[in-house]
Amino acid sequence: MRQAGPQADLKQVPGREDLRQRIEARIRRLERASGTGLWSMVLFLAVSYFAFDGFAILPDLSDDVRSMLGAPPPGEMISLALVVYAFSSIVRTLARMSRNIKPYMGLMHAAFFAAFYTFYQLSGVLQDNFWAVFFAGISVMGLDNYYLWAHSNEAIGKERALLESMRRGGEENV
Amino acid sequence: MLSSINSRAIVPVACAVTGFVIACCVLLYTFVKDDLIKGEIQHAADLSDTIIKSTRYAMLHDDRESLSNIINSIGEQNLVEHVRIFNKKGLIMFSPDTQEVNQFIDKSAAGCNECHAGLEPKRSLGTMAKARQFTNSDGNDVLAITAPFYNDPECSNAACHFHDAGQSLLGTLDIGVSQDPLKRTLGQIQNRMIMFSGMVLVLTVGAVCSLLYRQVFLPIKQLADFTENSSSDRLNVDFPEVSGEVARLANAFQRITSRVRELEEQLHHKENGASPPDSLS
Repeated sequence: MRQAGPQADLKQVPGREDLRQRIEARIRRLERASGTGLWSMVLFLAVSYFAFDGFAILPDLSDDVRSMLGAPPPGEMISLALVVYAFSSIVRTLARMSRNIKPYMGLMHAAFFAAFYTFYQLSGVLQDNFWAVFFAGISVMGLDNYYLWAHSNEAIGKERALLESMRRGGEENV
Repeated sequence: MLSSINSRAIVPVACAVTGFVIACCVLLYTFVKDDLIKGEIQHAADLSDTIIKSTRYAMLHDDRESLSNIINSIGEQNLVEHVRIFNKKGLIMFSPDTQEVNQFIDKSAAGCNECHAGLEPKRSLGTMAKARQFTNSDGNDVLAITAPFYNDPECSNAACHFHDAGQSLLGTLDIGVSQDPLKRTLGQIQNRMIMFSGMVLVLTVGAVCSLLYRQVFLPIKQLADFTENSSSDRLNVDFPEVSGEVARLANAFQRITSRVRELEEQLHHKENGASPPDSLS
């Protein structure tokens, strides 16, 4: 029931202002979350740029470091892991989309694909497999970031609608 | 643009599937390429073994003329880019190219440094480690393989020879074959994979998208337009041609609006004090 008296309005305004601030904070948080996806994509593209040259910018590993790391995994095993990772990531994101579960916001995929580039480089077969990692990364991260962006936009829309309804309610009270 | 149901449902899935298929095709091509190269290396290794066995008799009898003839005949083959036998010191003893006979081979060159990288040269290598790929001075891609002539008891015991039993390696055969046929095959495989992948993508993504659009999204859009734009007078005129669940939804909407119209008319007649029409009583 709406409280119409002046005393009631005075009591309601601080609570309304607090709620408005909380909603605005949630909107800012959602906007930041949406931007995180973009940053992870930028990071992946930057790593891909350096991987295209075979990480020529980095110094060669010394024999001591190589012997400490041990024998690199065979290229076939890395490729198998890449296919399994890309497939399961796409299926997981599609499942989250269909059940409307909150998407991931971290840089996890970018880190994993950078690791794939590194393993291929250590095995000496990066040149042959660069485009496989690149397209797998683009498809997985593209889908993930699209969902993050769509989910955040939808939530922002709801929060803004709530703000608008609060504003209208406030005007009616006045 | 991205707020419509078809763009939200179709575009991300289509892009993800396309990217995944391309990634898998690249990996598949890499697997096929690796397998073909391994087969080619094995073929070159078998060829070098055949040459070593063919030259064995001539070597045991120190028949240098026969050995030279064998090497020259092999060198005349179309796909053989080079073939040479050099001794333990790296001095080329037999080659169809007379200019390189009695020249020392560069131990730091590709193919030699596999064994000569350390202070003590390696005694044996696996088949894959014996092979090397490079572009020769004529601009041809070459797959070369080296195979050692080990010192057998027959060699050290032969009356005509001077190799002692403690010498493990007598010389090395180096043969290089052209990679042109392999490159042509890989090019054909690449083109065919691109063609088939394109067809698979068009069929799966294209067909699923068009079917979803035609059977689901378009009827929903028509229904949404119908519910938004229809007035109670036009309900039976512009009803979209839909079927299945969407048709049930449309019929339910139509029944609700008809019922609302009837109730409105009933209310209107009650307010005017007139008796309701027959159809409503």
